Amino acid sequence: MLRIIISRLALGVLTLLAVSVLIFAATEILPGDVASAVLGQGATPETLAVFRKELGLDRPATMRYLEWFYGALQGDLGISMTNKRAIAEEIAPRFMNTMFLAIFAAAIAVPLSVGLGILSAINEGKLVDRLANVLSLATISVPEFFIAYLLILIFSVQFDWLPSLATVFPEMGLGDRLFATALPAVTLTLLVTAHMLRMTRASVLSVMSQPYIEMAFLKGLRRTRIVIRHALPNAAAPIIAVVALNLAYLIVGVVVIEVVFVYPGVGQLMVDAVSKRDLPVVQACGLIFAGAFVLLNTAADILAILVNPRLRLPR
Amino acid sequence: MNDFEKLRSLAVEGRLSRRDFVSSATALGASTTLGGALFSTNVVAQANKTPKKGGILRVGMEGGSASDSLDPRTYADSIMIAASLTLMNGFIEIGNDGKAKGELLESWETKPGATDWVFNVRKGIKFTSGKTLDADDIMYSLSLHMGETKSPAKGLLKQIKEMKKLSANQVQFILETGNADFPSVLSDYHLVVVPNGFTDWSKPDGTGAFTLEKFEPGVRITFKNKGSYWKPGRGNFEAVEILYINDKTARTAALQSGKIDAANRLDARTVNLLARDPKLNIVRTKGTGNRYCFVSHVTAAPFDNKDLRLALKYGIDRKKIIDTVFNGFATVGNDHTLDANNPYYNKKMAQRAYDPDKAAFHFKKSGLGNTGIELQTSEGAWGSAVDCASLYQESLKKAGINLNVKKVSADGYWDNVWLKQPFCAVYWGSRPTADIQLSTTFKSDSSWNDTKWKNAEFDKLILDTRVELDEGKRKEMYGRAQELVSDEGGMVCFAISDYLDGYSKKVMGNDPHPRYDLSDDRIAETGWFA
Repeated sequence: MLRIIISRLALGVLTLLAVSVLIFAATEILPGDVASAVLGQGATPETLAVFRKELGLDRPATMRYLEWFYGALQGDLGISMTNKRAIAEEIAPRFMNTMFLAIFAAAIAVPLSVGLGILSAINEGKLVDRLANVLSLATISVPEFFIAYLLILIFSVQFDWLPSLATVFPEMGLGDRLFATALPAVTLTLLVTAHMLRMTRASVLSVMSQPYIEMAFLKGLRRTRIVIRHALPNAAAPIIAVVALNLAYLIVGVVVIEVVFVYPGVGQLMVDAVSKRDLPVVQACGLIFAGAFVLLNTAADILAILVNPRLRLPR
Repeated sequence: MNDFEKLRSLAVEGRLSRRDFVSSATALGASTTLGGALFSTNVVAQANKTPKKGGILRVGMEGGSASDSLDPRTYADSIMIAASLTLMNGFIEIGNDGKAKGELLESWETKPGATDWVFNVRKGIKFTSGKTLDADDIMYSLSLHMGETKSPAKGLLKQIKEMKKLSANQVQFILETGNADFPSVLSDYHLVVVPNGFTDWSKPDGTGAFTLEKFEPGVRITFKNKGSYWKPGRGNFEAVEILYINDKTARTAALQSGKIDAANRLDARTVNLLARDPKLNIVRTKGTGNRYCFVSHVTAAPFDNKDLRLALKYGIDRKKIIDTVFNGFATVGNDHTLDANNPYYNKKMAQRAYDPDKAAFHFKKSGLGNTGIELQTSEGAWGSAVDCASLYQESLKKAGINLNVKKVSADGYWDNVWLKQPFCAVYWGSRPTADIQLSTTFKSDSSWNDTKWKNAEFDKLILDTRVELDEGKRKEMYGRAQELVSDEGGMVCFAISDYLDGYSKKVMGNDPHPRYDLSDDRIAETGWFA
């Protein structure tokens, strides 16, 4: 058991390393560098040269990567090339914001979708099942910003119940925060529900065709009891995997939502950094995102093993 | 009620947009000046009231990112310019008449030839830190942009040969060559004043009406009133908050739901709908925004052919592009970069209009036959550059000219395409003076001469006007310079955009300014709540 966990974690660290190399290479390949991106149309060969020298961009890329890597190992993420602020300081509050929104959305989305998925499985083919399927599919079939704008139009502009700006500040209380982020959280919930709902329903139903379920039916048990007590535990592994995947999405994939609701999360920071070629910031954001993915997937694997004794013995 | 009356009442009720009104009224043969008056009443009505103190102004703005810094050598977009002028003051302010007005440099004198300038530093002005402003601060703040620096204002200040302190309140400048517009040069937005030797840009020490409370780049900037401000009637808000809202729809929604009191860069496509909201006030600054152009290198084939260049200028349907892409909120350009608000704009020169026959004539004369011409365009040039190019392609087709529109990557556009490709899209911002506006783009030795056009007469006119102090002659000389660019040059400048600001009705002191939007980005100090 412990061996599995350790090997998973080691693989995770390797993945992070590969990701950091990939990100560095990708930003190097992009046309333009931080100097030309910051100065924009105002760039002349002279000002460019001065700026590049100031940032140390005249040195080879491999040297810069190794220096960054060495710093990162000691927990020093460096300073931003564009505004000279410490990156760790800049990312920390934004990362907390991203986590806050992700947890808020997950707290609504996970119980809702798993619950609805089970309900759909119990009532397979009935009205509830169809309604849940159609509605959740409808919400993921339109672009995310469309849902966001629709919610803003209805709840902020028309009725003025909820704020359209989800800008949160460090000094805000929990209640204010929840109120400010209500609309983005609901939007995200609508986006991730369908996937988890359908997976829950499908995996429960696939177990339902097993002989031991048939046996349970023949014993005269009620369908609800069979689904919850007999089918669900055996269907848990794929559900956990898809929940983890969606949680990861809530952390790393919400840039559009951040823009629409003006939410100060890491995604927006990373997009700004990419457009300005601020490599150290891009690297740090990339690492955080990759870290979130690796961590959630590892957790999902471990959980899946825990709920299913058959997987506990290493082959 | 006759038809015109009906239109008028619709317009007053806000059920008809200005454009609809104008086009319908024109169809009825009525004068449109009345329409203009109807749509700007709210702006005129507030000019005469006395400002009140208090309130928190919340401005939602586009034009900034998480990588912003308050170091004036890095300013490139609206949010930092507005934040800077909330905390600090410039050397010279541009007044509502478009002319230079004393700010921290109170007044000035020059000698014939305009190379020797003496400026008087305003007395009794204090920085937030308590230090009193003197000539050393002025010289230090300018020197930030001179010599070995990445400041975009470096080029502007190259003309200063010598900078000398005459007394604690007087600075003398000796210029390389005369420049009658030198005070206006000092109004550039990068040039703001900090105390001598100041370097901590995370918390600038300025002479503005406000101090910095919190600066979260890419999120918000908050300011607090210092309590007293040296400009009478200005600096009225108790506090100011600038929110980064880069998404147009989000900005509009926040304005509509009252979460912000002011917003810049409204979407021209929906502003007519927004204007119907009784709680809002739309301020339109006409034709001082970006100048949208397609530029060709006059040195590269086939653009070295003057007839082809004329064909390209006659073959663009400026009005259609403005109506469709800018929803009418732009002014036609006349193939040079001066706008009609500039005192030296050549009003006598005929406005070039879409004329497929003339375009076809010149194209035939150029003898190029069926050669395709390639135009490189990108969203990196400006948001709608690709749309504009497609419409250009359509309008040229009617003149029998095949334009091949090539869409290139927005990343590194200014680095890899502009100045390098023979025909591409570019925009030019407004500059402080006619001299800078024209010479930056068209003078032979300018590093940004993006048409590679070299004309001895033009160069001479620019240099001569620089030292000419007679207004009548200056006007004539700049007029001729515009003619030369428009007729001979390689630039197709088809539109100059309007600025569209949205305000809550209670915000006052937001008159349109001849330079930038949000009252020249000084809304924090000029505005007040009714």
